[in-house]
Amino acid sequence: MPTMAQLMDALPEPAGEITALPQGIVPERLEDWALRPVPVGAFRRLRVLGTMQAEVTAAYIFLWLRGWFKTAAEKERLTAETQWSTALRVLDSMSYLRGATMKVGQMMANFPDIMPAALVETLERLHYDAPPMHWSLLKEMVHNELGGDPEDRFASFDKRAFAAASLGQVHRARLNSGEDVAVKIQYPGIARTIRQDFRNLFFFLLPARFSRYWENLRQQFEDLRMRLEQETDYEQEAIMQDRVRRLFRDDEGVVVPRVYREHSTSRVLTMDYLRGQTLDQFVASNPSQDERNEFARQIVRAWYRLLYAGRLFYADVHPGNFLRLDDGRLGLIDFGLMLELDEGMWGQFRKMDRPMTTGRRDERIAAVKDHNLISDDPADEERLHLTEQLCDWFWKCRYCGREFDFGDEANFRHGVSLMIELGRKRYARGRPYQPVIARQTFGIHALLYRLKAKFDAKALAEADIAMTGWDRSDYAHPSDRSSAS
Amino acid sequence: MRVTAQTKAATRQRILDAAQGLFAAQGFEAATTRDIARQAQIAVGTLFNYFPTKEAVALCLVSEAHARAAEQFAADRLADSAEPLTLEEELFAHVAAILRKLKPFRKYLTAVLDTTLSPLTTLSPLTSEQADGDQPLRTVHLETVSQIVLRHGPEPPSTVALHLYWTLFLGVLAFWSKDTSPRQEDTLAMLDESLAMFVGWLTTRTNQQQNHNSGG
Repeated sequence: MPTMAQLMDALPEPAGEITALPQGIVPERLEDWALRPVPVGAFRRLRVLGTMQAEVTAAYIFLWLRGWFKTAAEKERLTAETQWSTALRVLDSMSYLRGATMKVGQMMANFPDIMPAALVETLERLHYDAPPMHWSLLKEMVHNELGGDPEDRFASFDKRAFAAASLGQVHRARLNSGEDVAVKIQYPGIARTIRQDFRNLFFFLLPARFSRYWENLRQQFEDLRMRLEQETDYEQEAIMQDRVRRLFRDDEGVVVPRVYREHSTSRVLTMDYLRGQTLDQFVASNPSQDERNEFARQIVRAWYRLLYAGRLFYADVHPGNFLRLDDGRLGLIDFGLMLELDEGMWGQFRKMDRPMTTGRRDERIAAVKDHNLISDDPADEERLHLTEQLCDWFWKCRYCGREFDFGDEANFRHGVSLMIELGRKRYARGRPYQPVIARQTFGIHALLYRLKAKFDAKALAEADIAMTGWDRSDYAHPSDRSSAS
Repeated sequence: MRVTAQTKAATRQRILDAAQGLFAAQGFEAATTRDIARQAQIAVGTLFNYFPTKEAVALCLVSEAHARAAEQFAADRLADSAEPLTLEEELFAHVAAILRKLKPFRKYLTAVLDTTLSPLTTLSPLTSEQADGDQPLRTVHLETVSQIVLRHGPEPPSTVALHLYWTLFLGVLAFWSKDTSPRQEDTLAMLDESLAMFVGWLTTRTNQQQNHNSGG
C-alpha cells in the first residue's frame, strides 16, 4: 500500500493550489484570501447546486478513501489520483456558502494522515454563499417569521440590504418604538439544506469507519455539525450575543448590539444598528497613531474579556465585524461563530497560561509537547520546533512586558510563514479545537498588524484576568525572562 | 316555488362555508358531500344542483380565495408604486399574495390540482359558471401574469411562455401542499428559483427574438 506521502507526491498538480505564500505577496493578501467576503452579485442556484456539489465531493472522498484502504495496483492508483485531481478542480469551482467550509478545512487539518493537504487547502478556500433575496421574497420571509409585513412590524424598513450575512443579508430598519435596528434575514431553507449536505458527506465517509481514526473523525464531524447548527440558528446567536453583551459594562467602551427578541426568530435576527466605520474604513481614513492604538486596545480588551471572563473564543475574526463607532467606542458584531471552552479546554488553557505568559523557553517547550501530544521522537523535532515558535510568536506581546509593535512587518511575516509552514507540513494536529484557536489568534494579530498598533498587551490582559479572580500569584516575576527566546 | 337569484347565492355560500369548515375540521378526504349538505342544512340533491362534485366545491373555495388575492395584489401594487419592482419581484409578489390567501386550503390543494388545475385537464367543471360571470382561475391568473410581463417588456408573453409559467406555478402549488418545512420556507425558495428560471428564460428568449428581428 502506498504511503500518503507517496500518493500525494504522485498527484498531478491541481489547478490553483496554494502550497506556500508566493514571493512578493503582501501579508494582507493572505488574510483577504482566508476571509474573503461573501460575493452578493451573482445569483446562485444554491439549493440545486448545493446538494449536487456535496454529493460530488462526497463521492470523490469516498473513492479516495477506498483507494487508500485497499492495496491498489499502480494503474488503479493512478486512476484514483486522476479522479482526485478532477475532484479538486470541482471543489475549487464550488463556492456556495460562507463559513462552514472553513471549518471543514480546519477539521480535516486535524487528520493529516487521512486527508491530503490539497483537499484541506481547497476546502479552506471555499465559502458558503447564499443567493441574495429580492424584496418580494424578503417580505414573505418577514411575514412568515414575524407574523406581519415589514411595513407593519417596523416603522421603516430599507428594501436594499446593506450587508451580506452568514447565509443571508442585513437590512436597516426602525422599530415602531423608534430604535434604529439591523435586521439579519436568512435565505429560506438554507440551514436545513446545509445540514442535509453534511449528513450526505458523513454518509460517504462511512467506509472509513474501520480505520483507527474513525472515532476521532466521527467526533469531529459531530462537532462540525453542531457548529453549523449554531451558525445557522439565529436563536442560538441571539442567546450568545446577549451573553457577550452582559460581559461589558456601559462605561467600558465596547458595544454589543442589543437583540430585540420579539422581532427575532431562528431565521430573523433584529438588533441595534451601530453607526461607525469598519476596521478597513477606519484604516483608510488615515487615523493618528494614538487613534489606532486606542482602537486596537479596545479590540484586544474585548478579546480578553470574552476569553477570560466569558471563556469564549470569538471565532469570526473579520475586519467587518469590528466597528469604530462614531463616539469612539468599539462595536462588536456577529456572534454566529463562537467557540465555548468547556471545563476540559479551559483547564488546558489555564495550564498553558503560566509557561506562555512568563516567556520561559524551557517551560514553553514542555507545555507545547504536553499540549500538542508531541513525543520525544526525533521525527517530531521539526513539529515541536515550529509549534513552539508559533506559540512564542503568539505570546511574545504578552510576556515582553512593554509596548509591543504589532505593525512590525518582519515580525508579522514571520508569523505568516510559521502558520503556512505548520499548515503545509500538516503539523496543526493535536487537540481538535487547536487549529481553530490558532487561526482566531492569528486573525487578531492580523487585525492589529493592519492597524499598525503599538501598546502593552500584558497590562490589558492582567487587568482583565484580575477581574475574574484568577489567582496567579505563584507566577514568577515578569522580569524573570532570562531564558526567554 | 321560484328560487330567486338571492336565495341561490345564499345557498351556494352556505354550502361553501359548510365545506370549508368540514374540510378544515375533518380533512378533505374524510368529509363527504352528504356531510356538507347536512352541515349546510340542505338535501344532498340540492347540493348537486350547485356543485357536481366535492372537488368542484373545493375548486370554488380556492378560486374565490384566488380572486381575493388578485384584488389584494392589484391594490398593493397601486399603494406601493413608489419603487417599481422588477419582473421577477412582481411575479413573486403575485404568487405570494395567492399563497397567503390559499393558506387555509393548502392541505387539500392536491385534490383540486389533480382534478381541475392540472395542465392535462382541458375541461374545467366551472366552465358552466362562466355564464354567471365567473372566470376560471387559470384565466384570471394568466391574465394578471400577462399584464405583469407586458409592464416589463415590449410584448405580452406567448402562449408557450404562459403554458410554461402555468406548469411552474402548479408545481409550486403541489410542492407547497406537501411542504413540511418550518413555515413552508422551502416553498419560498422553490418559488424563488422557479421564477428566476422562468424570467431568465423569458428574458433570453425576448432578447433572441429582438436580435433576430433586427438582424433579419
